Amino acid sequence: MTSPTDQRPDLPAATPVPPAPGAQAMPVPPPPEQVRRVPRGPRLAALRRPGPAIGLTWLLLVLAASLTSPLWLPYGTAEQDLARRFEGPSADHWLGTDDLGRDLLTRIVAAAGVALTASLVTVLVALVIAVPLALAAAERGPRVERWTSRVSEVLLALPATIIMLAVIGVIGVRTYWIMAVLGVLISAAVYRVLLGVAQSVRQRLYVDAARVDGLRSWMVNARHVLPGMASVVAVQAAQLFGVAILIQSGLAFIGFGPADPEPSWGGMIAVASRYVYTAPWMMVPTGVVLALTVIAANAVADGIAAHAASVSGHASSGRRSGRVTLLGATHGRADDVRLAVPAGAGTPLLEVEGLRVATTEGPELVTGVSFSVGAGRVVGLVGESGCGKSMTARSLLGLLPTGVRLTQGALRWEGTDLLAGGASADKALRRLRGREIAMISQEPMVALDPMFSVRSQLVAPLRRFRGVSRREAVGLATDLLAQVGIVDAARVLDSYPHQLSGGMAQRVAIALALTGEPRLLVADEPTTALDVTVQAEILSLLRSLVTDTGLSVVIVSHDLGVIADLCDDVNVMYAGEVVESGSCEAVLASPAHPYTAALLEANPHVPEGEALPHRLPSIGGTVPAPAAWTSGCRFAGRCRFATRACAEPLVLTAAPGVPVGAVPDHAVRCVRADDLSLTAAPEEDPR
Amino acid sequence: MTAFVLRRLLMGVATLAAAVLISFLLVHAGSGSPGAVVLGPSATPEAIAAKNAELGWDDPLLVQLGDYVGGLLTGDLGVSLADSRSIADDMAARLPVTASIAALATLASGILGVLLGVTAAVRGGWVRRLATTGAGIGLSLPQFWVGVVLTYVLAIRLGLVPATGYTALGEDPAGWARSLVLPVLTLAVGGAAIVARTATTGLEEALRAEHVRTLRAMGTPEWKVRYVHALRYASVPVVSVLGIQFIVLFGGSIIIEQLFALPGLGQAAAAAVSSKDAPVVQAVVIVATLVVVLVNLALDLVVAALDPKVRTA
Repeated sequence: MTSPTDQRPDLPAATPVPPAPGAQAMPVPPPPEQVRRVPRGPRLAALRRPGPAIGLTWLLLVLAASLTSPLWLPYGTAEQDLARRFEGPSADHWLGTDDLGRDLLTRIVAAAGVALTASLVTVLVALVIAVPLALAAAERGPRVERWTSRVSEVLLALPATIIMLAVIGVIGVRTYWIMAVLGVLISAAVYRVLLGVAQSVRQRLYVDAARVDGLRSWMVNARHVLPGMASVVAVQAAQLFGVAILIQSGLAFIGFGPADPEPSWGGMIAVASRYVYTAPWMMVPTGVVLALTVIAANAVADGIAAHAASVSGHASSGRRSGRVTLLGATHGRADDVRLAVPAGAGTPLLEVEGLRVATTEGPELVTGVSFSVGAGRVVGLVGESGCGKSMTARSLLGLLPTGVRLTQGALRWEGTDLLAGGASADKALRRLRGREIAMISQEPMVALDPMFSVRSQLVAPLRRFRGVSRREAVGLATDLLAQVGIVDAARVLDSYPHQLSGGMAQRVAIALALTGEPRLLVADEPTTALDVTVQAEILSLLRSLVTDTGLSVVIVSHDLGVIADLCDDVNVMYAGEVVESGSCEAVLASPAHPYTAALLEANPHVPEGEALPHRLPSIGGTVPAPAAWTSGCRFAGRCRFATRACAEPLVLTAAPGVPVGAVPDHAVRCVRADDLSLTAAPEEDPR
Repeated sequence: MTAFVLRRLLMGVATLAAAVLISFLLVHAGSGSPGAVVLGPSATPEAIAAKNAELGWDDPLLVQLGDYVGGLLTGDLGVSLADSRSIADDMAARLPVTASIAALATLASGILGVLLGVTAAVRGGWVRRLATTGAGIGLSLPQFWVGVVLTYVLAIRLGLVPATGYTALGEDPAGWARSLVLPVLTLAVGGAAIVARTATTGLEEALRAEHVRTLRAMGTPEWKVRYVHALRYASVPVVSVLGIQFIVLFGGSIIIEQLFALPGLGQAAAAAVSSKDAPVVQAVVIVATLVVVLVNLALDLVVAALDPKVRTA
């Protein structure tokens, strides 16, 4: 744990980048995508936003005014007019005059040159030191990095302003030299930020590839690492520029700036502060110009940072961005065949009907999904990434991500529609969460609160749901942990999430989900992030929970093996809708939809005793983006059986094997279902 | 945990050693000599040389450094060249002034900043835009200028508080508080802005986190999700920034003390630089570094107490 932000300990405000708890105590470098997607000129694009654009305009304006000042300034910087002291703005003196009748505008513009260039000196010195050090430390690894980082830590803890005063004591008021010293002191902070970025850029595969290709190390740095760091360097430079102006004018304010007739912003405000009783106006023009200049520098920095962040945001959620027109009304698909209620139940525990989920910008992510979950049944949602499985699962708890809404459909809990009367899913489901419906998620390591012990994370809901005392709750928590197969419950209770393995964390997450004795468990890819051996353990735990407690489960997975292992019923999802639905046996043994058949073929579960195929079959192409979904068959583009008829709107119909007239237990959304004879791949035997 | 504390302590000692060495070398790098400063511009070169010899200025550098460090270890910071008074006594009188301004300003920044930042994160929309824009401006304003503006408004126009001067706490507690209002507010503007930004981004990140979704899926009441779990998650960066703010504001008070005529370390440093009173400058560097080191250590311990990952490491 080291000094936690990029901020210089004793400098005026720079924008801190707060570290997340437990994250590396270093300013957060942009995630890899960000830098990769920001090519040569990130700054220009960033400056198109209003804030940074105005900021840059102001800085250029000040610079231009200062460079052209001999051409247009009406007065000399030292030209006194004692008859016109302490004046406000007038036609002669646009910004008024000071205590000696000198023109304020003239002096402000004349002082700008030194203010800007001296601050630039600080920025350049800091970068010239920090960039090569960060590159070298990132390249040479821990042995070099340990020493450079320790030196930077010491430097970072020295009080910069006071050391600069001491330097002034020795060399006198020589602004450029003093600002260069500031650059040296502050380079430690810049180094810290850049090191994190350089390290993360270096870890990227293409940098490794370049190294393997035999590029020399300086070439790798120049071609791949430096461009990756560009936006962070730019942010640092802009922030530093603002800090340098503040420090420089602060020193001038307390008398360590250019000597009197020579103007400086800090010195002019110092004079104004002496006459604040009699001539308050004097402090306004200089102060505003100084403040605006620093605000401008920070606005440019924020703009570049925001731009970089938004680029990375687009990279990660590209699938969901972009506008499309809403799908046509023909897409209601209300004529979907209803499946028989699974055997052994009256009213299903949960019925989902015509569920539609959309982003606020337009694209629908789930278009009319229906299925039901009987008591004690395990229902699978299977399909590739981007099919809307997780969105469907999250809708069952009313917990959709920001910007995504449940737009239509019914959620019937024991026959009562929770969404009746247009209630929001979030509110409607709030009283069921934890008590009736619980969830376990894909990433057990981040699903538990890192700041609290397992004990307090289990005790709080136990007390809330079961109204027991703390002591009783601890007892119940111990029992729950035993129930999910944790042997040393006492030790685990005292642990924090980061001390648990993935499998252990998922067991704790399951125990947490059981605290409210729910009747339905929604499991979103519960084993995806785990090792294969641990996956099997978690699956068998879920299976025994179902048999022992009569829990119903909705399980989301892309893995047909998991589905075959656990589910009674399965819904195969493709591009936001169910394409095949029925009992697990029926669907997996005699798939009626080409997509299901293709998934089965691509499933790498080879029964014992059979040879591994040389090449695993895969499904060509990818799931179309929500914006491209049509009212016809959405799989047609990847389907080897596709014909012209596949472009027509279509509904779920009884699958081929279902007797005519019977309530079907197996349905498919394929116009050619009756012509095709798709059987499971010969080596596949799901049960 | 013990290893962690020991490592931090060692870094602190290294930092102090660096401060001693740098300030010592700076004093000796200059062209002046203590004799010339003590005796003034009218002294003859012979008198100055004699004075320098008396002060030990002609001894080998290592001997002088050894003497100085030996003095430091016994709490002796030498005497001022200007008035031959004990520097340690002077620092002891001035440190509480600067430290109390920095501490109160940190406290004010923390309260204002957390309130503002949490409101921005929870309310979102235009409240958030307003708060973050305000914070962006607040942290860009030069402290000394904010001080002048606040003096004009609060002291001159409204007459609420004295414009300058310092009343000792022992003398008149109410007067002490009134004399600190302006400097503390001045420093808190930028401090609160930074804390607010950190609190907003920290809380927003927490509210998006996976474990918060788990809490919501468990039906945890929303106030508890926000103000117990998410805020606790965001507390680590906020506390880190608060600790750094104390150090930043401690440095900032050098400049503010001039404006408000407060007898703190900054005033001593600026006066000593002007009068070439090298031992005082040297002492201020060391005392300020000591404060930074101690605050950093305290900060590490607080963060360790808050963050289980650090605590259990």
